[in-house]
Amino acid sequence: MSCTIINKERTGVINPILNCQPCGAQYAGIGIKDCIPLVHGGQGCSMFVRLLFAQHFKENFEIASSSLHEEAAVFGGLKRVEEGIEVLARRYPDLRVIPIITCCSTEIIGDDIEGSARKAARRLKELFPDREIFLAPVHAPSFKGSHVTGYNECIASLVKTIARKGEPNGKLNVFTGWVNPGDVSALKGYLKEMDVQALVIPDIESLDSPILPDKSITTYGSTTVEDLADTANSVGSLCLSRYEGATAATFLESKFKVPAVVTSTPIGIKNTDAMLQNISRMTGKPIPESLVRERGLAIDSLADLAHMFFAGKKVAIFGNPDLAIALAQFCHEVELEPALLLLGDDNSRYAKDPRIVELQETLECEMEVVCNADLWDLEDRIRNKGMKYDLIMGHSKGRYIAIDANVPMVRVGFPTFDRAGLYRHPIIGYKGAAMLGDQIANTLFAHMEYTRDREWILNTW
Amino acid sequence: MPMVLLECDKDIPEREQHVYIKATGEDTTMFLPASNVPTIPGTLSERGCSFCGAKLVIGGVLKDTIQLIHGPIGCAYDTWHTKRYPSDNDNFQLKYAWSSGMKEQHVIFGGEKQLKKSIQEAFDAMPESKRMFIYTTCATALIGDDPRAVARTVMEERPDVDIFVVECPGFAGVSQSKGHHVLNIAWMNEKVGTKEPEIVSPYTINFIGDYNIQGDTYLLQEYWEKLGIQVISHFTGNATYDELCGMHRAQLNVVNCARSAGYIANELKKRYAIPRLDIDAWGFSYMAAGLRKIGAFFGIEDKVEELIEEEYAKHKPALDWYKERLTGKKMAIWTGGPRLWHWTRAVEEDLGVEVVAMSSKFGHQEDFEKVIARGRVGAVYIDDANEKEFFEVVDMVKPDVIFTGPRVGELVKKLHIPYINGHAYHNGPYMGFAGFVNLARDMYNAVKSPLWGLAGKDVREVA
Amino acid sequence: MQEKIDALVGYIQQKCLWQFFSRAWDREENIAGVLDRTRDLLLGATPPVDTDIDRCHLADAKTLSAELRSEFPWVAGMRPDQLGALFQGVKETMMEIAVAKSRNGELYVSYY
Repeated sequence: MSCTIINKERTGVINPILNCQPCGAQYAGIGIKDCIPLVHGGQGCSMFVRLLFAQHFKENFEIASSSLHEEAAVFGGLKRVEEGIEVLARRYPDLRVIPIITCCSTEIIGDDIEGSARKAARRLKELFPDREIFLAPVHAPSFKGSHVTGYNECIASLVKTIARKGEPNGKLNVFTGWVNPGDVSALKGYLKEMDVQALVIPDIESLDSPILPDKSITTYGSTTVEDLADTANSVGSLCLSRYEGATAATFLESKFKVPAVVTSTPIGIKNTDAMLQNISRMTGKPIPESLVRERGLAIDSLADLAHMFFAGKKVAIFGNPDLAIALAQFCHEVELEPALLLLGDDNSRYAKDPRIVELQETLECEMEVVCNADLWDLEDRIRNKGMKYDLIMGHSKGRYIAIDANVPMVRVGFPTFDRAGLYRHPIIGYKGAAMLGDQIANTLFAHMEYTRDREWILNTW
Repeated sequence: MPMVLLECDKDIPEREQHVYIKATGEDTTMFLPASNVPTIPGTLSERGCSFCGAKLVIGGVLKDTIQLIHGPIGCAYDTWHTKRYPSDNDNFQLKYAWSSGMKEQHVIFGGEKQLKKSIQEAFDAMPESKRMFIYTTCATALIGDDPRAVARTVMEERPDVDIFVVECPGFAGVSQSKGHHVLNIAWMNEKVGTKEPEIVSPYTINFIGDYNIQGDTYLLQEYWEKLGIQVISHFTGNATYDELCGMHRAQLNVVNCARSAGYIANELKKRYAIPRLDIDAWGFSYMAAGLRKIGAFFGIEDKVEELIEEEYAKHKPALDWYKERLTGKKMAIWTGGPRLWHWTRAVEEDLGVEVVAMSSKFGHQEDFEKVIARGRVGAVYIDDANEKEFFEVVDMVKPDVIFTGPRVGELVKKLHIPYINGHAYHNGPYMGFAGFVNLARDMYNAVKSPLWGLAGKDVREVA
Repeated sequence: MQEKIDALVGYIQQKCLWQFFSRAWDREENIAGVLDRTRDLLLGATPPVDTDIDRCHLADAKTLSAELRSEFPWVAGMRPDQLGALFQGVKETMMEIAVAKSRNGELYVSYY
């Protein structure tokens, strides 16, 4: 059948799919321990992102602002960055990393944050001779890329700033891409099962943090400065995402000769197979039988759903490109039809993404891929162009389309604020595939009941 | 006690000017926190930007208006799905975010063409919408785009549309407050007086500074209808663009949020001699007092007394039930500014709750004059508080419940303290009589939750 | 007398928003407008009302005078000259707190 790849026809945006670069950079920054990102821009550029993270994770994260005001916007804001760094260092004695994240305003006025970082580093050396605080400049002009590129940029800057050549550590670097705490738990489970020592960058499992009897607050990522430094000494880097973290992996390859494998997000059976085989290849560790069983469990449960409930259902998918493309691959595995794929920024590489190319070759249904898309591309198709979708998969910002058009929707990706606890539930790996299959099926089932659409089929399922 | 330098602020001594603990016999001529001044970089302040003060707080509430944001995508993305103000226009204002999606080439070559196309596309996509606000942002203000010129050309080409431009980039001012100001004054200058409302009652008001949070406007509207008062404009809860063009015809401006919308009330007083009556719409005694003043203004005191009697009969028993259970509880208010002074006595008089700490993100000294005049001795009053100050103050005053935003709420949760959404409410509305019972109920449900007792228990301690 | 003045000022500080308008001239206008009419009402006189703004001050004065009667019953027993002196004192103190000695740096900004 056919697969068309087009760009959004309109110039402006109605209901964006992705946020701007500083948001992604902040998402990466909160994954590091003893790290407070300093956003160099207006206060909204960090305040709203903190709110967005709180909506998604139901947690508060420490992110600072240089509080760029009018005077700084006119005469340059470097003094505010330098002051911000010093204030942070003074008031947070455990602080070890500050990503300095620019925004549209500070890129337009042309603040030299590298220069500022050097100057601030000298000052910190004087003030705190016993501390080493890494200052990682992250250029994140909001008028380029999207939160996806911002995330990639921040991970890259952290690695470039902190990675140091030392003794080989026998570990595997694993760049997770933009995932959830539940995904990282699952990933660490696989690494443990394969007896692989890994540096997970960033390890955000702990962003889902507890209320403890002693009232201590542990809402921060678990990747340490030592972990980042040690990435230069690993046996290899496995980047589980093509657009979120790959720059760091390839940097480690060119600078420290750490071989990089950049691959697909392990969503679905095939992508998980590829991840495990890559891990095995890179570390020499075999894939244990337990994972053969877990794989079998996933296929077993998906087989209950695929032909009977999923086959032929048209799905509209939107979100981060790595996620959205992998979801389309997963749909293909379970006989859902990925009819519409909305990729929300203007990256020109998506059309040549090997996964898209493969889908083009293997899909039996029609698939439309819209690059630089917004959510109006979906709403307009449903509302005005007579397109019918049986399921929408994407994050919560698309909720009103589903509600108004009465199309069942599976919340997946970032942000998912209108369903409880999704950050905790993995969608990666075999188990994630099974759980995603369950979630899709249960969403369709509830919809069948509410719309009285052959709800009696479920009588005997 | 004078101004206080908290332990956590020893490295930023300027903060002493922003933290006050009230002692017996003191008034605001002796001590008044500095406010509406720049934030110290890197302090983890709670403030947002002025763009959001204009778009998210005021403009974005309008139920029939396209809110096109001229700038990179984030400003639109971030001010969408963050508020709880419904409307009777199928929540149009909650569903959409429009942006010109500015990219690098527009920064270099100018974004006006992009803006114009985006305007046309938005009107084409939503042909039933004929009204638009355009907002500039940091990026488009810095490159010097002229959105007014663009808006003029579009209005010439499409005579049935009307566009209002808000020039308020995020870096303007020091907080959201600047955005309120810019939007108020620009609307006054450009739009008030351009449309004539149909007058259907001898009693007309504008209700200013209520944003229909969880239906506040709907609730108050019941009162106005019972009293036969016509609200010419709600600024801006559940309002239309055109409705706000007729503000000049009201006989009285009733102001709730004096911080975000006092400006337009002041200007209406200055230019049209419309009196400004400030009231508190939260709390039983306050609401009753406000209604009585409105009744006195129009000479409809009897109707007002009847309404108050009816409302008290309906809701006072529930309020008293909660008061019995909440008396002596300690509350902190960490919100924008005005709710500090709206609530501090209201919860004490109506519910017996003691407000022990208050922090304002964007209040001015005027707000601190009000809150210190009304607030308790011994309470902590903070301007533009930061995260470390919150921890220290919590330790100091040990509140049972904190009214604040969801993000800070997630933070205090870890300290075993429940929060109530002080901006968007838990299950509102909170205004008016029925609303204040909702507030009491939510507060009661939060403090009585068994989870807080469980949170403090260490399971390892086996008896 | 000073005690009585302080009691009323304390009450008004807690209750009334008209003393806190954004600019000095609004505060002065409101303090005089509301307090003079409150005094008149307590004296049983009919306060002058020429404009809508006067009417608004009167509306505030009506509420305040009713509250003062119930909160401070001694007000009712005062002679007209005592009441005049009391309100003169209250007005002066209010002007002092809200305007003359106010630490609010925005009171004299020339625009709103």
